[in-house]
Amino acid sequence: MTGMAAVLEVEARKAAAALVLRVGGAALAAGTAVLAAVLAAAVRSGNEQVTAKLGVFAAAAGWDLLVVVATQVVGAGAVLAFGVTLGWSFGREFTDGTVNGLTAIPVSRPAIVAAKLIVHLVWTVAVASALTGLVTAAGLAAGLGAPDAHAAASLMRLFALTVLSGLVATPAAWAATLGRGPLPGVAAAIGLIVAAQVAVVAFPAGGAWLPIAAPALWAMRPEAVTAAQLLLTPAFALAFAALTVASWRRLQLDR
Amino acid sequence: MVERLAITGAVRAYGAEAGVLGASLDVAAGEVHALIGLNGAGKTTLMRAALGMVRLDAGMIRIGGAPLERLPTAAWARVGHLIDRPFAYPDIDAAGNLAIAARLRGIPSADTAALAQAVLEDWGLARYGPVKAAKLSKGNRQRLGLAAALLAGPDLAILDEPTDGLDPVGVIALREAVRRLAGAGAGVLVSSHHLDEVARIADRISVMNRGRIIGALDPGGTDLERTFFALVLDDDVQRTTS
Repeated sequence: MTGMAAVLEVEARKAAAALVLRVGGAALAAGTAVLAAVLAAAVRSGNEQVTAKLGVFAAAAGWDLLVVVATQVVGAGAVLAFGVTLGWSFGREFTDGTVNGLTAIPVSRPAIVAAKLIVHLVWTVAVASALTGLVTAAGLAAGLGAPDAHAAASLMRLFALTVLSGLVATPAAWAATLGRGPLPGVAAAIGLIVAAQVAVVAFPAGGAWLPIAAPALWAMRPEAVTAAQLLLTPAFALAFAALTVASWRRLQLDR
Repeated sequence: MVERLAITGAVRAYGAEAGVLGASLDVAAGEVHALIGLNGAGKTTLMRAALGMVRLDAGMIRIGGAPLERLPTAAWARVGHLIDRPFAYPDIDAAGNLAIAARLRGIPSADTAALAQAVLEDWGLARYGPVKAAKLSKGNRQRLGLAAALLAGPDLAILDEPTDGLDPVGVIALREAVRRLAGAGAGVLVSSHHLDEVARIADRISVMNRGRIIGALDPGGTDLERTFFALVLDDDVQRTTS
């Protein structure tokens, strides 16, 4: 891919300057930690509404309760947050009028798409690290003590779920390209969340085969999802990355 | 004479009356070729086609002698362009935007900051280096876009309405930059509505109307405006009656 090193450097620079990414990442990481700590405290204090909302998971205690609440928040919230940031990364080129400047340069269009997706992946890992760290800090601050091996494994699944949610959001890149703006990307992310919820309710036995639902199911009940089912999520992301590359290859800038 | 750009029989139709409907022109090394026409004449579409932003329905485009579809990606390093809006990310400062433009044209990272600074000074933007593009006036954003388009010293520059939003000082900076480029052997294709400005910088002026090149104006001639309107009116009458 011609110009890959240059465009990767440029995309990293653009990401570093992007308020959308900073706000989106901070909202997800800090918001999850605060929400998890507050909801876990509500369950411990006997709040019936919150307990009912969490269903069977409210029976957990200590680190398990904190992480399960965080996992529920991340399950939907991370796809939305990453859908917004990824959709913005692609869609802004059209609304900012910079897409013309990304054409007729010594950088191939597949390289531009690849660089944007790589930066997105690095960003999701950074946000996942911050989120896991903040949830851990919230647990320590709440006096749960040092996490044992079981709690550490749950926290690692929370980290993995956050990164996998970034992959689940990949269709936002394609939608923002087809719709030539960030909003279609956001709409795609919302569509993914709704589709995952509806599918899991409609097909409870087969939900783990859905690449958009498998990561959240696995994070909450690891024994219910196989490795093969979980691997469908990166395959799903790659498929939508390929569709995005194909759309950029065909892109005609006549409007 | 070395050919920088050659467009032959270009067609990119948006219905029967809109777009580019069979246009040919060329730009030689060291030449500034101006394209003038009314709004909707097809100038921007023709320039977009020359840059591969839209695909032609028919016709041929060559850059530096190579057909557009076979032009290696790396060869675009020698082409500069400004179409529609300046290449400037609003949340990045002027110097950063120029460094980005330089990097995307293959200039090594280590050299981009110094080049950006030199180019800012060339375009009278030195004090705006640390200012985000979103905070720049329209004219200064246009200068930034022109600076980004031309910073790598291209062999071919394609500039659509480059004087858009520029103040008189900016217009002079543009004129000098274009003449300097042409003097160094580049070919420049420029579209404009300003006949006086075009007459000052162009070696050749082609008139485009309703998707076709309908004639030429002599940059040294008198009363360009009258000649331009006569050409357009005559073309409109001919097409209406045919």
